[in-house]
This record gives sequence, structure tokens and C-alpha cells, in this order.
Amino acid sequence: MRSILTIILNDLKIFFSQRGNLPGLLVIPVLLTLVIGWSLGQIGGDSGPTRLRVDLIDLDQTELSSELIDDLRAANDALVLCPQDNDADDYCRLDEEPLQLERAVERARSGSSSALIVIPAGYAGALEGFERVDIDYYSLSDPLRPDPVRQSLDAVLQRASSASMTTGVAGALLDNLTSAIELPPLAAETRAGFLRTLYLRSQEMLTEQPAPVRFRVADTASDGEDGSMNGFNQSAPGMGTLYVMFTVLGGMAVLLRERRQWTLQRLVVLPLSRAQILGAKIGVYFSLGMIQYFIVFAVGAAVGMDFGSNPSALLAVMAAFVLCITALTFSLAPWITSEGQARGLVLLLSLSLAPLGGAWWPLEIVPEFMQTIGHLSPVAWAMDAFQDLLWYDGGFPDVLPEIGVLLAAAAVLFAVGIRSFKYE
Amino acid sequence: MRLMVEARNLRKTYKRHDGSTIEAVKGVDLEIRQGEIFSLLGPNGAGKTTTISMISGLVEPTEGDASIGGFSITKQPMDAKRLMGFVPQEIALYPDLSARQNLAFFGRMYGLAGKTLSRRVDELVEFVDLSDRQNDRIDTFSGGMKRRINLAAGLLNSPPLIYMDEPTVGIDPQSRRRILDTVKLLREEEGMTVLYTTHLMEEAQELSDRVGIMDHGEIIAMGTQAELTQQVGEEDRLEFTIGAQEVAEALLERIQQETVGVTRILHNPPEQLSDESSESTPSRLTVFAKRGRTALPQIIQNLDAAGVEIQSVAVREPDLEAVFLALTGRALRD
Repeated sequence: MRSILTIILNDLKIFFSQRGNLPGLLVIPVLLTLVIGWSLGQIGGDSGPTRLRVDLIDLDQTELSSELIDDLRAANDALVLCPQDNDADDYCRLDEEPLQLERAVERARSGSSSALIVIPAGYAGALEGFERVDIDYYSLSDPLRPDPVRQSLDAVLQRASSASMTTGVAGALLDNLTSAIELPPLAAETRAGFLRTLYLRSQEMLTEQPAPVRFRVADTASDGEDGSMNGFNQSAPGMGTLYVMFTVLGGMAVLLRERRQWTLQRLVVLPLSRAQILGAKIGVYFSLGMIQYFIVFAVGAAVGMDFGSNPSALLAVMAAFVLCITALTFSLAPWITSEGQARGLVLLLSLSLAPLGGAWWPLEIVPEFMQTIGHLSPVAWAMDAFQDLLWYDGGFPDVLPEIGVLLAAAAVLFAVGIRSFKYE
Repeated sequence: MRLMVEARNLRKTYKRHDGSTIEAVKGVDLEIRQGEIFSLLGPNGAGKTTTISMISGLVEPTEGDASIGGFSITKQPMDAKRLMGFVPQEIALYPDLSARQNLAFFGRMYGLAGKTLSRRVDELVEFVDLSDRQNDRIDTFSGGMKRRINLAAGLLNSPPLIYMDEPTVGIDPQSRRRILDTVKLLREEEGMTVLYTTHLMEEAQELSDRVGIMDHGEIIAMGTQAELTQQVGEEDRLEFTIGAQEVAEALLERIQQETVGVTRILHNPPEQLSDESSESTPSRLTVFAKRGRTALPQIIQNLDAAGVEIQSVAVREPDLEAVFLALTGRALRD
């Protein structure tokens, strides 16, 4: 055991003494983890919920159209209605120019705003008269996918329509009643006031009872958390996994070099068994892989990444993946005939297996058949396990299947690698 | 005297990519006595390195076995390896580490530690005269300096037996001289047994108590230098370097019949001497003769009369080169 440790320490010393190894082990993965982590975090949102820029042209300018606008704000506090809610920083990007219909349509078509809502003139009259009215909605969003702005507008209009219907039915009922029991006709002002009260009451009831339907753009972070934390939950395991592959698979070239410079053969003629030598070499690349993971996760820890509550399970997933890639290295090393060939194979394997397995982006965003193909890569199993632990705070039982698959792959690859390992 | 190395029917067969096999070593029997310097002499590709690799446990024999100090290298490899040091033909050192770090690492592999290890490393860098460079990285060393550290790494465990596989390949004459002196010193002062492989006759002659001559995977002759040269008798060897022209068989027969003392003539035309035969490539004529200097004028006269262009002549007394030539019909350097 002492000899094995001595070889491992010696090889690590050599690895770290070669300055060319440090960018790949330290600088690049750290930078990529930070950049990708922050970038992915910004997609989820910065501080607070995501804000959606929505242009709104009110051609009616009545009390009812104002109420519609208020209801829209209340339905989704992520909506920034332009120009009504523009702030001092000109979030609406109006550049102090009025927002006319033509410009607003252009903004919606170019994607400068998330959507344009046009409340037509006569909206209030139509509503009060229980007549049909069209509200124009412009947006680039896919009509087949959920659109938070449209959902909010639908909800608000549904309530307005229902309240209008209530008022219409009540008005007709009132007219029929006064005519049937021969009451003096109500003054127009009194009738309008009654119906108005009825409308407001209906709106109120529709909003509060039953449970109000509210739409918001869901922020990917939990309440009060910076969205970038979630970015690191993807980028740290993803970049860690990618660079574990770069570092450990790079061992193919080193094993070839050791044979060529005869340091491996010198070990063989020392009083060491071949199992000790092989064990030590496996230990070297396993250690390097774990060091690589620790470096990247340390960066995650420094920026406040959430590690879940099962560090031992996290460690087990890391170890299983590193072991699997170490086994892959040893299974390929005997067939390598030049360092250039080894470098090419490292790039090919890392840059194909990592994205395929979801190291660069979550596998959920790719089509189902690609998710299936992706699981041919050990990266996918590792990323699934990391997701269980880091996103859903899973425990050991949740990641046992993934660990099992990685260890089974490692066993098969080691069997191939150890059988064909070249000592000379 | 006690046997230090004993090899019986060592055989190594390799498979080629096309499925055919090549027998690199064809049943070698070998005995090396304690305290002797034994050289395996032969041209490149003769099977010397494969033989030494099997005896050191680096390569598993296809057949046969070897014992080191009574321990079988295949059945008791740990015990056998503890008795030997190994100096490979390649510079088997980590180029990114210093000389001292290399020696300390390999020393730890022999179980040395602490002050014992430190003292042994001090002794060895002193022994190979590199104390002042011990903390420099190996990749900053010259070829000769690397060879010396390579040698030191084989001596870390103070072994009773050391294998040296062509330790002077590719170094300057000064470094070569230093290594040859070191080998002699190891035997004289440490009583070490040395198995030395070389393709240079001069090294084998200078160092060896006994020599095994290898060719095509077999030991074709073995013994002391006196025993081996006796095999070719008392004949001198007259080496003529001649132009690229053809030499008629009739001329060679006439020289052999008419010149007193001439026993045999070998003609190596250019295509046997070089892969790239050309008109300018000389050929070699080797004449074996008792009292070679007496026979020389007559031979020159005959060649001259036949129009053969003589470029140089050398008279060599019986040596290992002559033995190899006599046994194989080729020169060692061929």
C-alpha cells in the first residue's frame, strides 16, 4: 500500500510540476463555471421575478379601461406596462418619445416588447352595453406554448366579461321587474349607478371567490434567492464533469509516454507486483479526477451554490463518475500509438459525450429521443444524479440507480483495460 | 563458484499484426557466476534486450525460466527482483523531476526511507560525480549525465547483481569511458555480478570475464575471450575495403590456393553492407590467414593484377569480431 501511495504522490507531483496542465485543471474550468453559471442564472432571472415589457395602448381612456389596466397589473406583477409603468431608468426603452400605436406594433414585431395590448375606443361602452368588443394582442410568442402575458390578459378579460354579463343580466332583470310590477321607471342615473355597483361587486367576487386565478412568470429561484445560484447548480457539475473527462482521459497520453520513456518498465523490474503498479496508476487518475471536481465545486461553494443536504451522496456520485472515466482511459490506452492520437481522442470523447449527456445544458430542454441517446454517455447518468441532489435535495436512495450504472460501466471497462494493459 | 543467474531454455515468441509469429529468443541457456562480468554480444536485433528483459522479469518468457540467486523470476519474482538492479538502454527517468527526486522516488520503491534513503542518494550522486547537479531537472542534463543517473538508479538497493542493457548507447567517448570504468569498479569494489549487453566488441573485450555471442535469438558461442578466439584458430583477419566492382569467384579461389597461409575468403558486396546500394558504395573482402602480414603482399599483388581497386587494408589479430564473423559470415556492425 505504501508503494502504491508513493507512486500516486510521485505522479501527482509530476502532473502539477508541468505548468501546461494547470490551465486545463484550474483556470479554464473555473472561468467557464463562473461564466456559464452566471449566464444560466440570468436566464432564470436576476434579483426578484423576471420583468416582462408589455406595451399597452389605451384608446378608450375610460374608468373601465383603467380598471382593466389595474387588474392586469394585479394579475401579474412581472408585467411592466409601457408607457404607464415606465421607471426613471426607462425600462420601457421609450427614449422619452410617446408610444403611438404604429411604433408599439413595430416594437412587438421586433421583439423589443414581449407583447402589445390595444384597448379599443368604446371598450367601456361595449362592456356596459353587454356588447362584443375586441382587444388586439400582438406578440412573437409561440401560440402553442404558454404565454404568461396572454394568460394574464385572458384571466383579466374573463373576469371583465363575466362581470359585464352579470350586469347585463341584472339590468334586463331590473327592466323586466319594473315593467311587470308596474313600478315607476328608474331614473337613468340611478339605474346606471345600480348596474355599476353590481359590476364592481361582480368583479370583486370573481377576483376573490373562489380562489383568485393569478398568473406570474415563475422565477426559477426559490423566493428571495439570487437566480444565478441555479446557474451554478448546472454549470459546476457540468463543467466539473467535462473537465474530469479532459483531465482523466489525458492519462492515455501519459501512460503511452511512460512506456516510451521506460519509467513504467523500470517500475516493473522493481520488487512490485503488476497489480500494485496498475492499482497505483488507476489511483493517480482517480485522484486527479476528484481534484478536478473539488476545484470546480469549490468555485460553486465560493459563489454560494446550493449543495443540497447529502454531501456523502454527492461524493459518491463524483467518485462513481471519475471511476467510470478512469476505466474508459485504461480501456483505450493500450490501443493508443501516439500522443497526437491520444489528444485527438480526448477532445473527441469529451466534446461529444459532455454535451450529449447534458453537461452544457439541462437534458430536459432537448427532445425526448436526444435524451434517450444522451444516456449512452456516462455524463447523462452523472448529471441526472447531480440534478437529483442539487436541485431536488434528493438523498442516497435517489441516486443509487445512477451510481449503479456508472459503477457497472466502470467494471466492464476496467475488465477490458486491465486485460490489455501494456507494461512494455 | 555460486551461480547468480541461471536461465534454462528461455524462449520468447511475439505475434505480428498479420497473425504470424516471430521468435525473438530461441531457447537460451545461460549461467552467470557470482562476481563475474558477463557480456551478451551481438548485433542489433540479435535478441539481447529480450533475453535480459526476461531474466529481469520485465517480459514473461513464452517458455523456460530463469533464477536469480536461486529464486525463479516467474514463480518468486519479488525475491528475485530484490537481488537485482536494472539499467535499461533507455533513459528510464522522469524528465520533469530532478536527479535527486528521481533517485529518491526509486529508492522509496525499494523500501528505503528517511536518513537511509537520503544517505544512499548522496552516495550515488557522488559515485556518478553529479553532486553539483543533483537538484537540476533531468531534462536539462546532457546525454552522458542522464546515462550516469540512469546507472545510479539501478544501484539504489546495493544489489549483488546488476543488468546493464547497452548503457553507453548514444553518448560521447568521455562519458562512455566513465561508465566502463564504473562497471569495473562495481565488480572490483562491491563484488557485484554484472550482466552487460552490447553490440560493441571493444566493450565486451574490455569488460568481460565471459562473453555470450548472440545472433538471431540464439547464443551461438559462449566462453572466455581466449576460449572464443580459439574457435577461429590463430588466424589473422585481413580486411580489404575495395571499390564497388564485381570480384570474380575465380580470383578469390586463386588467391586462396596460391597464397601461403590463407584459409578462407569472405566477400561482402555492397548490397550486403548497405540498404542503399550504389556504385560509390565500397564492398569488403575479408581474408583469414595464418601469419597475415606475410601473406598480405601476395594478396595485394593478385588483386591489383585483376584490376580490383583497393581503398584500404587492415590487419586484425584474432578477436571477438573474428569469432562472430567466422560463425555468422557477417560483421557485428552489419
